[in-house]
Amino acid sequence: MNEVQMEKKIRKGMTWRKDIHVNWRLYLLAIPIIVYFVVFNYAPMAGLVMAFQDFKPTKGIFGSQWVGLQNFVRFFSSPNAFTVIRNTFVISALGLFIGYPMSIGFALLINEIRLKWFKKTVQTISYMPYFITTIVICGLIIDFCSSSGIITNLLVKLGWMERQNMLTNPDYFWAINLISDEWQGLGYSSIVFIAAITNVSGELNEAAAIDGANRLQRVWHITLPGIKPMIVSMLILKCGMLMTVGFDKILNLYNPSIYSTADVISTYVQRVGINGGEFGYSTAVGMFNSVVNTALLLIANHLSAKYAEQSLF
Amino acid sequence: MVEKRSVSRVIFNIFNYGFMFLFSFICLIPIWHVAMASISDPRLLMASKGVLLKPLGEITWDGYAMVLTNKSIITGYVNTLFYVLATTIIMALGTLVAGFLLSRPNFKLKGPLGIGIMFTMMFSGGLIPSYMVVRGLGMTNTRWAMLIPGVLNAFYIMMMKSAFEQLPGSYEESAKLDGAGPLTILFRILVPLLKATIAVIVMFNVIQQWNSWFNASIYLTKTREYWPLQLFMREILINNDASKMATNLDAEKASSFVGNLVKYCVTMVGTLPLLCAYPFAQKYFVTGVQMGGVKG
Repeated sequence: MNEVQMEKKIRKGMTWRKDIHVNWRLYLLAIPIIVYFVVFNYAPMAGLVMAFQDFKPTKGIFGSQWVGLQNFVRFFSSPNAFTVIRNTFVISALGLFIGYPMSIGFALLINEIRLKWFKKTVQTISYMPYFITTIVICGLIIDFCSSSGIITNLLVKLGWMERQNMLTNPDYFWAINLISDEWQGLGYSSIVFIAAITNVSGELNEAAAIDGANRLQRVWHITLPGIKPMIVSMLILKCGMLMTVGFDKILNLYNPSIYSTADVISTYVQRVGINGGEFGYSTAVGMFNSVVNTALLLIANHLSAKYAEQSLF
Repeated sequence: MVEKRSVSRVIFNIFNYGFMFLFSFICLIPIWHVAMASISDPRLLMASKGVLLKPLGEITWDGYAMVLTNKSIITGYVNTLFYVLATTIIMALGTLVAGFLLSRPNFKLKGPLGIGIMFTMMFSGGLIPSYMVVRGLGMTNTRWAMLIPGVLNAFYIMMMKSAFEQLPGSYEESAKLDGAGPLTILFRILVPLLKATIAVIVMFNVIQQWNSWFNASIYLTKTREYWPLQLFMREILINNDASKMATNLDAEKASSFVGNLVKYCVTMVGTLPLLCAYPFAQKYFVTGVQMGGVKG
């Protein structure tokens, strides 16, 4: 019997009482960690019962009236349900289908730059927008897209639109959100791919070049297959987050005139729940989102384990 | 390796270098515009329509003088620095201890604890129930609401756990023989070996805390004196309310065009610290993004 097997056997034979006796210091250390996760992660999960109540803060969870699925029925029969679910899906799908290929493409292009100092400078500059805070980004968008902002001025000059405050026109919101996301994240999100490309074998590349393969052929037949595992696994994870859109940016940019395209599930929950005080109803909407997210994540994780041979859990 | 200099290669290079140059320009220009606007003559600024490549009129530092002596901005700065520092310490300690516990081979609680923490990556109670818990604990409108909720994170803990597991066991074996307890082993022997992993999570915590405004906006509704910088900036940049800045100014200066200047100065003041710091942390980005890809 080797050491590992022996250790396993000893551990199995150990009762909890004995383990606590031997490792009491570890148990002591575990107490604050357990308390933290119970209070800030598991108590909110238990709090999801509010979704089935007409919750009144004054009466608490035990005093509020149970209403069954009424909150869910109310959400799905309101026109808001379609709007916020569609917007959540569209906004995150745009990031997936346009933003994700762009970061791969950017990594491939930057890999073709041979001047070391130029490459390094471009990379450093491209990370910069990522380190600007959300509030400042939103402040810039509001300023630049206002009816006298520099972006509005440019588009009017080009004759592409009438002078207006672009953030009050629902037609523009998806584009504004996508472009600002890409401006902020393109360089930063390409980092993993740049790192993966540098790990692709140089020898293979040289051999192909000697055999007469041109640049494009080498990118297609050597570089891309080399970073495929990275592309696939990140893609699957992103699919798992298809119904997750952060509210940080949208909460600062949207206004009632563009709710039709800008309102997503998380902003709706925040508005109706925290601002509107409808705790039971907004918990139900949030719970629907949590359940969908978890299901997507588990499916993605399963697919990732099956096809990319790596998984989260 | 000698590159073949074909015509198509040359054309590609011209376009590629051109594109990269243009891209860098697009990344830089908005902040450059704001920087130039912040030192421009506010009267000319009101009339200007395009992108500023250089300051308009005579350079003025009035806006900065106003912003940097403003009570709200100073309060916000001090609060944010405090929150960044305090949450980093709490987060690092908690993450180290939790990761350490999950990497102990002969610890019976390891399995259940690991599952309990992992599960929080998959499912969460969501915004409203979390808000009710913080409210129920009486943390709203106190500094605690900024320090404790969300400070520990399962992803960082799992990262820390695998960092512990990759360390050779020999270090602690010898310490154990000397009779060292778990805390001594953790902080005297293992922590110095994990500097790189700790640096990554500290960096991400600093960025996240510097950026954070939402929790403060729902938890600190009645206590402005505890607000982080971003929330004061939000008032000026998003709600377009520079009037609060102008109250301690004389009437002539408080006119609307100064408000405009203040906006640009606030943007610079709230942005520069991270922009100056990030180039020095670049080596941690790769690990960070891989983690971010997981975390979303």
